[in-house]
Amino acid sequence: MKRYLVTPTRCTACRSCELACSFRHGAFGLPGRTRIRTYLFGENKNVPLTCMQCEQAACVSACPVSALVRNSATGAIEVVDARCIGCQACVGACPFGAIAMLDKQPIAYKCDLCGGEPACVAFCPTKALEYRECSPPLVR
Amino acid sequence: MIKFSINGKTVEGESGEMVLHVARRHGFEIPAHCHHDGVEPFGSCRLCLVEITHQDWRGWKGLVTSCLYPIEEGLQVTTDNEEIHRVRTVLVDLLLGRCPDAPAVQKLAADFGIAKSSYAEHPERPLCTLCTLCVRACEAVGANAIGTTRRGWGRTIGTPFDLPPEACVGCGTCARICPTGAIPCREDEHSRHIWERDFAFARCESCGRPLMTEAHRALVAQRSGLAASYFVRCDQCKRDDMAKVFSQIAR
Repeated sequence: MKRYLVTPTRCTACRSCELACSFRHGAFGLPGRTRIRTYLFGENKNVPLTCMQCEQAACVSACPVSALVRNSATGAIEVVDARCIGCQACVGACPFGAIAMLDKQPIAYKCDLCGGEPACVAFCPTKALEYRECSPPLVR
Repeated sequence: MIKFSINGKTVEGESGEMVLHVARRHGFEIPAHCHHDGVEPFGSCRLCLVEITHQDWRGWKGLVTSCLYPIEEGLQVTTDNEEIHRVRTVLVDLLLGRCPDAPAVQKLAADFGIAKSSYAEHPERPLCTLCTLCVRACEAVGANAIGTTRRGWGRTIGTPFDLPPEACVGCGTCARICPTGAIPCREDEHSRHIWERDFAFARCESCGRPLMTEAHRALVAQRSGLAASYFVRCDQCKRDDMAKVFSQIAR
């Protein structure tokens, strides 16, 4: 299975991933609605942060209506919009702060790896973000 | 897998699935007001009526609520015809008579070409359509704080003994899921006021931003089996901390 890999030392904090994400998910480039965010810590210490697609995900345990489902093809945990009742339990449970609520509809949104073709990866100019086959161990 | 037909087209579904669910998955449009995929089906609006028959039923046909009808082998479903449309129009007309001020009902009525209900309008013009989505959402959340009270004409969504509900955790899901905005809920930066009770927001222990209500947090932690430490900080502080950790291990 393909894995989403982040190499912070390659990140230049250009924030192309944030723009690509918000455009890809219909937020028309609103940076506040991105599902990936870059954090800056000085020299060569830029960290793009998004959903970890945890093996034993806290959001999935917290959801009372099974609206968070693992896509077996991509490995991503996806929000089934039609099932989400907007209780925000997943937002509170996620240890990475990777889930938020849409303003207009009370529905949770998170990284879904764009169904297998992550826009952030396509727009990352320095390959700090990759989505490719790789065997564990994942920590490099 | 169970094979049956919708409007003459053969479709497949899992045992135990309801007709509405399978129909929508295959792109058939069936109107519904009280349906939500996340909660138990209830069949209160009855707009999802479809006609069913079967070759073994010797010509018997019937109208059933598709959200509550489990699929079966060889079932023949019709999602729309003159009779179904007539019944649905009456139902929408009745809904508009009860809730003439609810935008969601007005829109539904407009879809059926009804501008004004042909029935007497409810004197109190309630916003609540009694779809019970709020009750079912409350059940899903695990609070079970509200239900339908009284019967017939006086039926309402309410709390036990019409008192501020002890079991309520103030999550606000009922107000958010209500299609007509019938449940009053207001909040400021300190608390949420709903069902005549005030619920204090828990605070992010790092930055002090409001999180879920204290009671809702306790309920989610208990039901999910996650440690209480998952719920003490806001999403922004969690991201800041994780980024810090990753910046330290990145080489």
